[in-house]
Amino acid sequence: MSRSEALVDAEWVEAHAGDPGVVLVEVDEDTSAYDKGHIRNAIKIDWKKDLQDPVRRDFVDRVGFEKLLSERGISNDDLVVLYGGNNNWFAAYAYWYFKLYGHQNVKLLDGGRKKWELDSRELTPDVPQRAATDYQASEQDATLRAKRDEVVDAIGKRNLVDVRSPDEFAGRLLAPAHLPQEAAQRGGHIPTAKNVPWSKAANEDGTFKNDHDLTEIYRDEAGVDFGKDTIAYCRIGERSAHTWFVLHELLEQPNVKNYDGSWTEYGSLVGVPIELGDAR
Amino acid sequence: MSDVNQAGDGCGAPAGGVSVTAAANVGNQAVVEGRVLRDNVPLSTGYARLLGTGDEFVAEVPLGEDGGFRFFAAPGTWKLRVLAPGGARADRDVPAEIGKITKVEVAV
Repeated sequence: MSRSEALVDAEWVEAHAGDPGVVLVEVDEDTSAYDKGHIRNAIKIDWKKDLQDPVRRDFVDRVGFEKLLSERGISNDDLVVLYGGNNNWFAAYAYWYFKLYGHQNVKLLDGGRKKWELDSRELTPDVPQRAATDYQASEQDATLRAKRDEVVDAIGKRNLVDVRSPDEFAGRLLAPAHLPQEAAQRGGHIPTAKNVPWSKAANEDGTFKNDHDLTEIYRDEAGVDFGKDTIAYCRIGERSAHTWFVLHELLEQPNVKNYDGSWTEYGSLVGVPIELGDAR
Repeated sequence: MSDVNQAGDGCGAPAGGVSVTAAANVGNQAVVEGRVLRDNVPLSTGYARLLGTGDEFVAEVPLGEDGGFRFFAAPGTWKLRVLAPGGARADRDVPAEIGKITKVEVAV
């Protein structure tokens, strides 16, 4: 994967969103954003209702993912182009999720909804109708998803990249600054983790920085060892999906996992090590 | 996901953007909130960012229907940056104190 294979820009979307075999999908945390207006021909996936198990804290299973994509009219050989608000956090999360279930033909709209809006491009309330398909998913690709025991075992061995804000990393906040401060039982970070806030990878308009700058940020400034495997985490796994996208898809690092349990799980585990304080 | 996330509070924007007409539960939090106007009318398409020292990114929300935004910050002084269509941008220095709501109105 490379930048040209993983990203499209707004001009490409305007030219190709209606093409056969191309499905534009909006995924937002603000799940009402789509209903107020979206890019023409885009369908909606709700990251919570559609992608999370309604009872357990986990994803929908393979059969559930097949049912979702079949209902939405997505075929196995369709090119899925994802975009969303908040600098593509949840679109990147969905991108990672699609890859997890084996859909390889997927791209992100660089800059997502934010750049589209700031550029005053067209948004429409019209909802496209797509015929149902018979989508077949793979079992989850375990090389992309880290779970808690693997994370604890990775301390001091692999790169751990904490992509939350410095205040969350240090333990001064438990959640991003635009949310009420409630979440995990304890603040802080996983010992040996490097703090590289997701925002360092993005320009102000939500587009990704260029590969040279990204390499400087992660390898040269933060000290992420590109010779080692990496696990990225945040609070619930979507900001770290943004960083997973940068490291795995743009910078083509081979072994990068997203820990979607992230701090809401780790910070509530009994007996695991936690460090407090700013990055050193 | 956890109860927190079931309540709609992931890492991103509150559903529908922030309405400042609904009061925040301040408690022991340091709240910065306000609204953005263009030609004296609330601007609903745009973004508010909270920046720290050296303009380091802290958080961002899309504006609500009433042009509103809200942050639950750590105590201190922050820079509020508003991004709006047409390349418009406005910066304000804002303090945040525990137990208080700092209100800001920004015209772009």
